[in-house]
Amino acid sequence: METSRDDFVIAIRSAFLRKGNKQRFSLLSLILFSIIFLVLGNYNFKVINLNKTVIKEIIYFSSFIVTLPENTIKKSFNKISNHFIYYDDYQIVKSKLQELKNKDLSKKIIMYENIELKKLIDDYFIEDSQAYAKVLIDKESKFLRSIVINKGSKNGVKVGMTIYDDIYLVGQVVEVNFITSRVLLISDINSKVPITIQPLNIQGIMSGFDKQKGQLQYIKNERLINKDNEELTVVTSGSGGVFKSGIPIGKINSLDILENNKIVVNFYKNFSQLKYVKILSHTKEKIQLDQNNKDTFKEGKEKISQINNQVEDIRLLQQQKIINNKVRIEIEKENTKLKEDLVNIKKKLAEKNKKIRDNKIESKNLEFLTLNLLHGHKCRKTMFRSKLYKIGTDEYRACVLSKGPIKSN
Amino acid sequence: MINTNKKIKSILYNYTPLFLLYTSILNDIDFNNLEFKYFSFNFVYILIFYYSLKRDGGIGYVFIFIAGLFNDVVNGIPMGISSLCYLLLCASAAYLRNITLRPSLIKDWIFFLLTILVLNLITFTYLILFFSYEINYFDQTINTTFTFLLYLIFSYLFKIYDNFTSGKFN
Repeated sequence: METSRDDFVIAIRSAFLRKGNKQRFSLLSLILFSIIFLVLGNYNFKVINLNKTVIKEIIYFSSFIVTLPENTIKKSFNKISNHFIYYDDYQIVKSKLQELKNKDLSKKIIMYENIELKKLIDDYFIEDSQAYAKVLIDKESKFLRSIVINKGSKNGVKVGMTIYDDIYLVGQVVEVNFITSRVLLISDINSKVPITIQPLNIQGIMSGFDKQKGQLQYIKNERLINKDNEELTVVTSGSGGVFKSGIPIGKINSLDILENNKIVVNFYKNFSQLKYVKILSHTKEKIQLDQNNKDTFKEGKEKISQINNQVEDIRLLQQQKIINNKVRIEIEKENTKLKEDLVNIKKKLAEKNKKIRDNKIESKNLEFLTLNLLHGHKCRKTMFRSKLYKIGTDEYRACVLSKGPIKSN
Repeated sequence: MINTNKKIKSILYNYTPLFLLYTSILNDIDFNNLEFKYFSFNFVYILIFYYSLKRDGGIGYVFIFIAGLFNDVVNGIPMGISSLCYLLLCASAAYLRNITLRPSLIKDWIFFLLTILVLNLITFTYLILFFSYEINYFDQTINTTFTFLLYLIFSYLFKIYDNFTSGKFN
């Protein structure tokens, strides 16, 4: 037992402390040195940072030089393989060009509208500075998907600047050295991009998932069911101010949403083929308040107040109009009712007039009958009075009513 | 003529592992991140372990230390972590060499597996605790598995190469 422990100690000592034939340092001293490196790396000392920057610059350029032959071979291979697919590509590009030409005009109109609307809500960014950089190293680490570019603090690059390939989002600057910088790609698992899914207008966070794919977090699959089976587009939302809003990232195939547990975003760009990238920083548009602008501002303010007054007047008139309409409707109802009443009254009046006329006739008849009883004999034609009137004739009636025959002078 | 051949072979024997180490670290093509989703392996681990086990002093501890720094810078991870892992790999190989009387490929292989598991544990713990990295454990498991499996093949290839350059075939 004692012997085996001794053997173990001897083996360990030999492994860690013994220098080899051409070794200047023992393994233990180098391990301690690495630990010191790690510990110091956690502290933000100027001297350490400067040393780190120098080491990084040297290594980046060594790596760039070492990869030159490999990159040359890659490029040649890509060129040759591209030659074989030129014709097919040409046909596709031709048809797409035609499509794009048609869409171009409407896109321009929408773009201007969008700018105007963004200005209204104070969310319009203008390009503050723009630079192009070459990708020096594109080594896909298993812990960090990133690229190294040949622009650093010397060229005004700052941590947090946005990196584009054409108009598409590539990543963000996370480390700046004097003449180089490291860009964290959006395909990295540690990158968190605030996004909006269009046309559903759903907000979310995207992190890297695969070389060509991202994964949406905090969004349920059911929310992304698109009834029209349209392709869902993922763009930056601008939340948190990390990226400006509306930078295209990728698309989601709506058919895949229900089939997969993860919501996967297919990036528009292939990040392993990056050669040159665009570095941009954005600021909000600022209006320089010189004298002309002050006048313009004053005029604009007056116009705005006039327009506001007009708007107020229009609002009052509209309210008045609404009230008038209500009154008119009420009057019309009343009018209709009165007309109906009038018709009814006219009907009743006609009936009463008829009754009055009947009564008059009846009273005349009654008077005639009464007088007929009293004076009928004076008017009735008999054998001895042939000059008188026959019963039932108008003359007889007139004679009865005048209480006997009228004597002529 | 024979001397020149011997010199060339000697140079190849001594410096090929070093050349392979630095090329695989600085090059864009990284076996840790091949185009395949379910296939990747850590060639550097195999290389360092094999040569530390088979040669006294291995590739050279200082060179390995610097290679580790290079790897950290190129991959964008905290400086020193790869150096520490590589040197611990060397230490474990040196320990195995010291305690072994009759070398056996299978024992080396199993010891290699234990070593890379411990190294991964150290790396992940450090990256997660101190730098809040998110790690895809599935990819790492695949990487470790293939590193372990391919050790056999590479050790066989390295052995053939060493025999050739050291003149044992002649």
